[in-house]
This record gives sequence, structure tokens and C-alpha cells, in this order.
Amino acid sequence: MLSIKNLHVLIEDKAILKGLNLEIAAGEVHAVMGPNGSGKSTLSHVLAGREGYEITDGEVLFNGEDLLSLEPEQRARLGIFLGMQYPVELPGVNNMTFMRESLNAVRRGRGEAELDAVAFMKRVREKAKLVELDERLLKRSVNAGFSGGEKKRNEILQMAMLEPLLAILDETDSGLDIDALRVISGGVNALRSPERSIILITHYQRLLDYIQPDFVHVLVDGRIVRSGDKQLALELEKKGYGWIEEEAAA
Amino acid sequence: MSTTVEAQRAWFEQAIDQAQGDLPGQDLDWLQQTRAHARRAIETLPVPNRKSEEWRYTAIEGLLKNSFQTPAGEADAARVLEAGDWLEPDYPAYRVIIVNGRCIVDASQTAGLPEGATVGSLRAALATDPELLGTWFGQAAAHTDHLFTALNTALINDGIFLHLKPGVVLDRPVEVVYLSLGQEQAPLTQPRNLVVLEKGASATLVERFIGPGNALYFHNGVTELALREGAILKHCRVQDESRNAYHLSSLYLTQDRNSLYQGTTLAFGGAWARTDYQAVFKEEGARCELGGLYTVGDRQLIDFHLDVRHSVPDCSSREQFKGILYGKGRGVFDGRILVEKQAQHSDAHLSNDNLLLTENGEIDTKPQLEIYADDVKCSHGTTVGQIDPQQMFYLRSRGIDADAARRMLCLGFAGEVIEAIEVPELREYASQRLVATLNQSIQAAE
Repeated sequence: MLSIKNLHVLIEDKAILKGLNLEIAAGEVHAVMGPNGSGKSTLSHVLAGREGYEITDGEVLFNGEDLLSLEPEQRARLGIFLGMQYPVELPGVNNMTFMRESLNAVRRGRGEAELDAVAFMKRVREKAKLVELDERLLKRSVNAGFSGGEKKRNEILQMAMLEPLLAILDETDSGLDIDALRVISGGVNALRSPERSIILITHYQRLLDYIQPDFVHVLVDGRIVRSGDKQLALELEKKGYGWIEEEAAA
Repeated sequence: MSTTVEAQRAWFEQAIDQAQGDLPGQDLDWLQQTRAHARRAIETLPVPNRKSEEWRYTAIEGLLKNSFQTPAGEADAARVLEAGDWLEPDYPAYRVIIVNGRCIVDASQTAGLPEGATVGSLRAALATDPELLGTWFGQAAAHTDHLFTALNTALINDGIFLHLKPGVVLDRPVEVVYLSLGQEQAPLTQPRNLVVLEKGASATLVERFIGPGNALYFHNGVTELALREGAILKHCRVQDESRNAYHLSSLYLTQDRNSLYQGTTLAFGGAWARTDYQAVFKEEGARCELGGLYTVGDRQLIDFHLDVRHSVPDCSSREQFKGILYGKGRGVFDGRILVEKQAQHSDAHLSNDNLLLTENGEIDTKPQLEIYADDVKCSHGTTVGQIDPQQMFYLRSRGIDADAARRMLCLGFAGEVIEAIEVPELREYASQRLVATLNQSIQAAE
């Protein structure tokens, strides 16, 4: 489904990704872990099409299409979803209106009919229940004045509405207490399916107790230096990143 | 220099001289005196120029290059009704139609007004109700040093007169449509309005300023508003003048004890459009909320001047104005709040936020708080910014294309002002009008 080959990325002339390779097949859950500044968020932003990154080498194919040549909205319509680490607030933009515009834009892109107001309401209510999001937040401006946990629930709600093929969750667990973590993980697990792949970007092993990954990768200094299964995450939890960084440097 | 000033003054004098014949109420002493006083003011008041603070960013040279003429008589009602779809949006209201400054009774609709309510032509009221008019007329706008108000006053002719007796509550909004129709000689249209809400009365007033096509005209309207004790006026103004029009609205508001005024002005049209608001609290416990939204594009100047005077204790005011500028549009905002020494416990908050969609837009914004009392809650703030790329990315990453994302963010930015509008049809209209403007700006950029 997703094939990243030799990806090199600069931010303001500073090399962040330095030849990253990653292959993800349909239905797989991959965790990408690594110390601060290793390039985890850059990877997620580049996949979603955020501006400000210069790609100097490499390619990214999504179901055979050259992802890097597409606008962010085109990627979303192909089925890519980025759950943001810091969801922005959109004052004055109604959450419900926003989600409906978004869903219908994606549906149009997929050649599906738009949902009418009734069908949309039914669906958004159902999915809000899944992530235990207070329905009142649907009537407010997007993320405006939401708590950290509410913002993350709102992200997972959008994911559940859009039913992406590839969901990239960028530190969705940061700043969450155990209860919120459980709810959000439940939301993610409910979406697992043979057609859907997930990239979990995280600092901590804790999230992986709730969402079991098929693969764990360690990103250090812009490259994946080690890949393994869930055991690798437990090892990192115990020993930290130091030993891998040393190995990588050697 | 002085020849220029003389030529400019002559412009005002000519405008008055050519319109003398048709004025109503020539037998009313107080009215004739008011007119004569204004006529003298024209001869002595300084002509606005860029050196005076109130006109620093708003040149009048372009306006004075044109020669305007006060149209004689009433416009033909049939022609008015044919003029197009200007009555959209339609909703239940008492409606008064003013064309080129004169009320068109045949096109207006005020049947079913409750007892104690007068809504109609000022010219008609001068004949039927001169004493009541005389009591209120020129009070709020009397001591003005505003040359354009003097021009209007010297030629007081027609406009709306809205009077509610104590306790009268209107069940529907009053909508006044000012339609300016171009003609061979560009018209000078000068409606003069008087709105008086007696004790405990309440109304919603909507004013729409419309000029079909690219007509050239100068709308120089003056409105006096008096709210007596406990009166409530919700006032929505939609400025949709033609793109060649000059528009100046001067509003003079006085508020008695515990009265509430909520005014929202939407300014979309005109080549040169200015709104001057003067609000004076005369008694304690009154509240004044002024809101505004303006969109300004190529060959447009939109200007707001506020002068809010807290002269007595325990009054509150809110001023919230938002602007969206694109192309080479120019905006001016000058908001002044004066809190006098005796006006303790005043509560005043003023904000002006601007969104620049292009590099060439320009906004000159100046919020001013002048406080002489020592126990007050006051704040002011102004921002000028662009659309936040992070917000754009967020929306686009959810499948929404860039143009739609920009529209959503602009609507969101303007949302607070639009939400304050009382009539749902007008809220919807305001959103649609904003979207249409944004679409134009996007097309222009391509």
C-alpha cells in the first residue's frame, strides 16, 4: 500500500530525513518510535503534504501513485489521514459543518454520493459515541477551547468518519491520561481492518499496550535503524534509545 | 492651496443652491432655522483634508471631482419595482422604500403597524406631525462640526421617521431600502432619518443601501437615533452600494437610562464608503454594542469612524469590527472611546481585526481609548494578519480544497459579527454575500 524509498527531506536547508525506507502492506499496524528530533513528525507531515519541507531525493508510492506530487486534499481523498499532534483551533468554523464538508469532499473524490444532512447526523452521532466525545462539542468551533483530550478525540472522530486507507497518528497519545488513552485506543482498534493500515508515531511504549502493532520501527537521525515486532518496543522501554543511537552511529 | 479649498467649498455651496426649490416644511420656523444654520456652517467649517485626523486616510478629492445633482421630485414607483431583484432576501417586515433620497409610498408597505407606532416618510411627517419632529430634530446632530452632515441638514427633505410611543414593541422588523438609481446627472441622495423610541419601546430596524449596476451617485445620509429609558433598538445595516458609488452614513445616537442599542453594519459595496458613528450616553445603565464587517477589494475604500462617549457612570459599550481585504482594497478604522471624569464604572471594549488576503491590501487602523475616570474596565485591541497556513493545512488534510478552506476560514473570522444579526435571512444573506466576494477575490487573483 505505502512504499517509501530513500526519502531525503530538508527543513530550511537542514537535513531531517536522510534516506528513510518503509514498506507498509494493507491491514498492517506499524509503530514508529524514536527520540526527539529524529524526524518522526516530519515523516507524518511529508506524507500528508504539508508545506515547508524540501524533498531532495527518494519517492513515496501510495497504491502505485506518486504521493509527493499531490496536494494535501488530493491525498486525503485517496484515503490518507493524519491525526495531528497539535490539532489547530478554527474559531468560527463549526465542527459539524467542517466535518460534513470534509466527508463530502472525500466522498466526491472517491466517486461516492454526498451524504445528506440526516444520514450525516446519524453517522456523526454514532461515531462520536465510539470516541466518547461530548455531542455539544460538535456544535462548537473546531477545537476552539477544547481540552487536550477533547482535541484528540475529535481527531479520532474525524478518522472514523472519513474511513481512510492509511491513518497516520502523530503522537496521538501525548498529553492523555489513562482513561482518555483507553477510549482513543478503542476508537482506533475499532477501525482496524484488512484494508486499513495505520502508522502510530509515538515516544512511549504505553500506547502499544492498547494498540498492538504488527511492526515496530526505530527512527534515529532521519533513518530507520532497527525494525522488529512488539518486543522491540518493550526493549526500548527498558533500555531507552541510547544503545540504539550508539549502534547506529557505529 | 487656497484656491483648491475655495473650489471645494464652492462644490458644497453649488450642491445646496441647485436644490433649494423643492424643500418641504418651509413654513416651519425651527426647520428653516436648522437649515439656515447648516448653510452658514458650510461657509465657515474647514473643508476636510488629509491634515485633519478624521480624514487623514480618506481623501475627498475624488468625490469632489464629480458633480452631483439632487434629483427633483419622486422617482417613478413602476420604474423602482422593475429595477431588479434588489428586494432579496425577502422576509416579513414593515418596509419603506426610499429612491434617490425620496420615500416611495406606493412601493412601501407599513400596513398593520401597532397603535403608537409611526413608520414612514419624514416629508409626510413634517406635514402631519411637525411638533413631534421639532422636539427631536437636530438634537443629536445639532452641534456637529461635520461638513457633510451640514450639507445634509441644509437640504433636509425626506427620509424615514420612526417613532414608537412608550411601551410599543414591534412584532416585525422595519426594513428601509435605500435604492439609488443612476441617471444622466449623477444623483446626490441625502436621506435624513429620525428614529425615536420612547420609554420601554422596542424595535428591529434594518437598513439596506443598494445601487444596481455601476451607477455613479453620492449617498450622504444622516440618521439621528434617540433611545429613551429602557428602549431597545436592534439595528442592522447592509451597505451594498454600486461599485462606482460614494457613500457616507453619519449616525448620531443618544441613549437614556438602561436603554440598549445593538448595531451591526455590513459594508460590502461602494468605491468610497464611510460610516461615522457618534454615540452618547446621557443617563446611567445604558449599553451600546457596535459591530461591523467590511470586505474591501480593488478600487475600493471602506472607512469606519466611531466616537463613543461615556459621559455618565455605569454604561457599557462593545465595539467589534472585522475586515477582510483583498486585491488593492483599502480599509480605514478609527475607533475612539472617551470616558469622561465622572463616568465611573464604565465598561468599554473595542476591537478591530483584519485579514489581508493579498499583499497589496491596506488597512489603517487606530483604536483610541481616552480615559479620565479612575474606576473603569476598558480595553482595546487591533490585529492585522493573514490566513494561518496551519489552519489551511488542517482543512486541506481533511480533503477540503484550498479555495473552500479559505472561504471557511474567512467565514469563521467574520462569524462573530454575522451571528449578532437579529434577522436569520440577513445572516444567511451576509454569509452568501461574503462567499460571493471571496469567490471574486479568488478569481481576480488567478
